[in-house]
Amino acid sequence: MKRRDFLKSSAFLGSLACIKPVLSANAFTNGDRKSVFSVCEMCSTRCPIEVSVKDNKGVFINGNPKFSANKTSVCARGGAGINQLYDKNRLIKPLIRVGKRGENKWREASWDEALNLVATKLNEIKEKHGAKSVIFTSKAGESHTHMSNFACAYGSPNIFSHYSSCPITYNMVLEHTYGGGLSRDFANAKYIVNFGHNLFEGIVISDAKKLAKFAASSDTKLLVLEPRFSVVAAKADEWLPIKPGTDVAFLMALIHVWLRDEKYDKDFVKEYCIGLDELKASVKDTSPKWQENITGISAKTIERIADEIYKAAPKVVIDWGHKTTTTHAEYQRTRAIAIANALMGNYEKKGGIHTSKNASNLNKIIGENIFPTLDNPSNVFKVPNTPRIDGAGEEGSKNYFVSRKHGVLMDIAPAILSEKPYPIKAWVNTRFNHLVNVANVNESLKAIEKLDFIVSIDVYLNDFSNLADVVLPESSYLERDESILGVGNGYYMRNKAVEVIGDTKSGFDIFKELASIMKIDELYTYKTIDEYRMQQAKGNVDLLANLKKDGVVTYKVPSLYLREPKIIKEFAKTYPQIKDKIDSNGELSSLISFKTPSKKIELFIEKVEKLFPAHGSLNMVDYDVFNGHEFCLTSGKTPIHTNAHTQNIPILNELMSESPVWINESKAKELGLKDGDIVYLENEFGKIQVKLMLTQGIRPDTLFIYHGFGRVTPALKNIHEVGANDSILLGSKSGHICSTMVTNIGVDIKRV
Amino acid sequence: MKKFVMIHDENLCIGCQACSVACKNENQIPSGVFRVQVHAKMSGVFPNLKTDFTRASCVMCEDSPCVSVCPTGASFKLANGITLIDEKLCVSCKYCVLACPYNARFVNPITKAIDKCTFCYPNRKGATPACVSVCPTDALIFGDINDSNSEINKVLASKSVEYPKAHLGTKPKLGFIKNTKGGRYE
Ligand code: SF4
Ligand code: SF4
Ligand code: SF4
Ligand code: SF4
Repeated sequence: MKRRDFLKSSAFLGSLACIKPVLSANAFTNGDRKSVFSVCEMCSTRCPIEVSVKDNKGVFINGNPKFSANKTSVCARGGAGINQLYDKNRLIKPLIRVGKRGENKWREASWDEALNLVATKLNEIKEKHGAKSVIFTSKAGESHTHMSNFACAYGSPNIFSHYSSCPITYNMVLEHTYGGGLSRDFANAKYIVNFGHNLFEGIVISDAKKLAKFAASSDTKLLVLEPRFSVVAAKADEWLPIKPGTDVAFLMALIHVWLRDEKYDKDFVKEYCIGLDELKASVKDTSPKWQENITGISAKTIERIADEIYKAAPKVVIDWGHKTTTTHAEYQRTRAIAIANALMGNYEKKGGIHTSKNASNLNKIIGENIFPTLDNPSNVFKVPNTPRIDGAGEEGSKNYFVSRKHGVLMDIAPAILSEKPYPIKAWVNTRFNHLVNVANVNESLKAIEKLDFIVSIDVYLNDFSNLADVVLPESSYLERDESILGVGNGYYMRNKAVEVIGDTKSGFDIFKELASIMKIDELYTYKTIDEYRMQQAKGNVDLLANLKKDGVVTYKVPSLYLREPKIIKEFAKTYPQIKDKIDSNGELSSLISFKTPSKKIELFIEKVEKLFPAHGSLNMVDYDVFNGHEFCLTSGKTPIHTNAHTQNIPILNELMSESPVWINESKAKELGLKDGDIVYLENEFGKIQVKLMLTQGIRPDTLFIYHGFGRVTPALKNIHEVGANDSILLGSKSGHICSTMVTNIGVDIKRV
Repeated sequence: MKKFVMIHDENLCIGCQACSVACKNENQIPSGVFRVQVHAKMSGVFPNLKTDFTRASCVMCEDSPCVSVCPTGASFKLANGITLIDEKLCVSCKYCVLACPYNARFVNPITKAIDKCTFCYPNRKGATPACVSVCPTDALIFGDINDSNSEINKVLASKSVEYPKAHLGTKPKLGFIKNTKGGRYE
């Protein structure tokens, strides 16, 4: 079968009108448009949305006005959700490969046939090679939950999410340093240091809104360090085009100055931190002068900035970002940020950083179960104890600190190719485009060749799905009911806005049905998503009903920072239960706890030092991202597309249909290169052909590409072989300790 | 009588095009044409740079050249300040396209009539337009200037709002707050 133009003919639109029950029970009428309140899935942020449905069709999406952090806002991708829903290139039938792998020759199959084929194959492989020989990959989130449950039931420990290609570093660093995740109070800060956290292009609506207001106010300062003049840089009060990969040197010099001049929150550090002496030793020589040649920033500037930040403290946020410089020293860079925040004493201060005040934390603080909490029906599924191919969580492994539910994606291909620690025979994937989003594409392609069986669940016949043996079409998020999720002080839930188009199923149903065909469903205590939701809600019917009706339920709680006496006093007016916990100085220090081994904020980490000598303290080992090449290629997000997912959606493709490589104009002229020139970027891992875009907005030694193009998707004609896939140039070797994918890489320009 | 005004705050705008996508879906604008886009223009020499984000759409002139040149009366103004086009009367002579100093008009490839921003009036009747409702950074403000409590009046009173090509005397009802960011402060 060739690409299905299922929306091409008006016949489809005609037939759509015949699908009768288009609205779920939670829809209410508003003129001739009905609103369904749901949750976006055009990126991983999951903003609450209102979907307008008219004549049985989704016609418009805006933010859910009941969710005050976003109100009616959605980004371009969020608004284009309905265009994905009706994209004629969407998958609408299960497909079974008939040609060679990747040849794009398929036959349509019934769900019965497709699921039974998958079940038979997975059973066969388990019998011959053991369950561990099947790997499972998914983007983190609900699809990952249901896939993991299935993988655990099947018996394979080899479960992966996109973590190692994205948020793994800051998650791990915050856990190691503070004992858990933290929020940044962008709304109330006075000074924000941003290391390329590209919130105005890699949009997270609630944060982008706050940061935009922050940047536009006259009494705040936004300092941006980034090799490229990004949109965040364009909104900054000061932009420092730092050399790629060297944030860590800048930070170590900053810390050097604060410690040298004793300009840090000494009381806070004394009370809550451990490891000051080791920290002092590690930054003894990292003076502002020392870093000049590394970062390209003058010593004078560092001295001034150190002073500015100290003066603005504690209303400062030194933003760890999401996935920013990515060098092999990413862990240390992010550690330096975590430490810099601690030194400024901004913990649990308004305008600083703080723990989440979600339902269960608030209940703990107040000492009463006032706010409804959820159960997790997936908790019964445990990752089997069998060793994983990447050694995640195992002593002696470089990936010791990595979660066994998330793993290290870059280690998949080397393990398949080397058959070490054991052979891999099959790959089950849901909604993750490994071939565009993971380093060392050429190796992954070779590894995939070796496999006996590949299943991919997807909305599109993407690069990875195109190489599968069976492709299972997933309903888009607008056609699915999903579980309850926590959001700030409340909950939200994805509600089906329109009936399923074509012959697609939710990921929940796909894995559930597969488990029941294979008779490995003993641990499933639920049959339907409604039962799952009810178990989550612990029978709280009101909560569920409100989530169905409004999409989001938030409880009104005054804001609370555990080290802000005035705010605590105010909070105690509503919740007098906390009164006897307030200290003489007005703080709630008895409620401050850090789940680290020392129960303190760890400026030095003993458990890391033990397993990875020298890494318990700050260092710069392997920070270099040029590796002897003339340029460093950096990559990032655009507000028009999400990673490698949305490029085919017509309305977004029209706004951005390709992605040329940014190069500094003067540098290009020096090399005799012109705007629009086609060249190769080359290094030891591969070679890609790119179009150059000359701009003043980048350092002369740096190149930049918006990630997500360069696809090999014959079924998606608009984007097939358009632009370049930067992951081809990335190596498999991951960052120290945190095992993050390294996305800044040395390259040379070669003429075509 | 209501008088509608829109303001684009260039300091808040991040050029994300959410407005453009929302407009296309709300008003069923076919591919290839747009009622609104936000243009990003970087200027300066590394590292002294700035990027301006400007809105390109109809600016709702009070004295609108498009209306005065229209031979059939298809282009007309409402008392609330909104310029509209009656598709049925439009003969696609394109006089208005040439007369508009803001390059805001285009031929709709489906209807063949001239098309442009309507402040979403035909569908939303003066309620918040699609582009304004979705803007992630609240860079767009819309409202009735004859309502003294309106958000738009607060903005007009507190910020310096300018009007595009004011020298032409078309008296636009789409204003902007000029970008103040950019450059390097070392
Ligand atoms: S940021 Fe945009 S794409 Fe992501 S969830 Fe929110 S609206 Fe959707
Ligand atoms: S949606 Fe708002 S921020 Fe985005 S381009 Fe439009 S006006 Fe600017
Ligand atoms: S901007 Fe152009 S189309 Fe809009 S009212 Fe003025 S002249 Fe007419
Ligand atoms: S006001 Fe309406 S018609 Fe005009 S640009 Fe915004 S969404 Fe489009």
